[in-house]
Amino acid sequence: MTVGVVDYGAGNLRSVLNMFAYLGEDATILREPEDVLGADRLVLPGVGAAGEAMDRLRTRHLDEALDEAVLEKGRPLLGICLGMQLISERLFEFGERRGLGWIDGDVINIRHCTNDPHLRVPHMGWNQIEIMPTGEEFLSGIGNSQQYYFAHSFTLRPSDDNVVAARTSYGADLVAAVRKDTIFATQFHPEKSQVAGERMISAFLEWNP
Amino acid sequence: MLLQRLIPSLLLRGGRLVKGVEFQSFRDAGRPETTARAHNAQGADEIIVLDIDASREKRPPDFEALRRVTAECFMPVTFGGGIRSRDDAARALDAGADKLTLTMTALENPGLIDTLAHYLGSQAVVLGVDVVRVDGRAMVYDHHRHEPALDRSVKGWIDEAIDRGAGEIRLMSADREGRRMGMDLDLIGKVAASCEVPVVAEGGAGTLEHLAEALHAGASGVAVGTMLVFSDNNLVKIKSFLKSRACAMRM
Repeated sequence: MTVGVVDYGAGNLRSVLNMFAYLGEDATILREPEDVLGADRLVLPGVGAAGEAMDRLRTRHLDEALDEAVLEKGRPLLGICLGMQLISERLFEFGERRGLGWIDGDVINIRHCTNDPHLRVPHMGWNQIEIMPTGEEFLSGIGNSQQYYFAHSFTLRPSDDNVVAARTSYGADLVAAVRKDTIFATQFHPEKSQVAGERMISAFLEWNP
Repeated sequence: MLLQRLIPSLLLRGGRLVKGVEFQSFRDAGRPETTARAHNAQGADEIIVLDIDASREKRPPDFEALRRVTAECFMPVTFGGGIRSRDDAARALDAGADKLTLTMTALENPGLIDTLAHYLGSQAVVLGVDVVRVDGRAMVYDHHRHEPALDRSVKGWIDEAIDRGAGEIRLMSADREGRRMGMDLDLIGKVAASCEVPVVAEGGAGTLEHLAEALHAGASGVAVGTMLVFSDNNLVKIKSFLKSRACAMRM
């Protein structure tokens, strides 16, 4: 089995690669569309501003390769942070962009979801999550430490609540993870969430959707 | 509920960990990756790594030392010191940093904040503000001139940086650093109340009670340096104490 981490020039791949190395998994970096099509499992990581990241995925034709690998061939994909936002329909960070469109919904500023005018944005730090039944496969079994590291100003608002696999509370109910078909994606950073994140990534490696 | 953060702060010089007093004298404190590993094992919520000479020496940061540190860290790493360009930022991320903190390089070139926020998102851009008190008045300290910057107020600079895209403030009381006299609670309270991004406070803590005071004053997190490097304090003990003082800690 090969695990590939998509490199679109803005993600911090190192953190993700460090976690896979720690778990004994030899993940490869995917830069070309044909690399994406050759991997058995995919990770779409993310630090970056959505607009620019989406532009780069398109310029490198990685969007088409991801569509083919995930939607047509059914390869499991883990989206992380911005990676979760990019799979939505519409993104509103530094201008409006069309996302990959795998999950119906918009990515908007957290400030537009809250009634608290003094909420500190970005949502930055460790927060507790609430796990939905569809998220248990990835997120349960961690006992009392269901806390993960978040660092984001924008949040995914899916049209269909059934895709939500976990929620967190910050000024409003925010989506912490989504699951649909062979896609599992988190707003938090599992690769930066110590033991809790390590278990989640292990579960992704064993996932056979 | 979002938890408050306890953040060890590591200073790098020549690839080694050092600990200083008021940015003046430094003592060797070992290999940074060894310390980072211990902090990870003890559940540090995040870690700050600063190359303290890069900015002043006008050279790129020590990415190699950063890479050794991040390999040990399964919590977020904020890196700073000499980040001057988009290319420096890309290299720091490639070496495993999650967030970048800009202090002097932002003062010299405020547009760098906009550039990096557009490139990486605001959540990855942390403004470092070093503050000194002059006749009681809080002022931004210019490390290159070794004097307070007269043309910028603390509030004005922070507001400008947030407008430009900074997503967090690292508020350092430079004249209290390593002196263990307590943190500048008035400053922390005012800055936290006047801005709507997270504020991480550092400088002056000599007791665990001092850290609790800073969190109660409104800081989203506290960074600790001196207190960890040359003492028998450890993160588990500090977090237990802070929790007992009604701070929201991850245990």
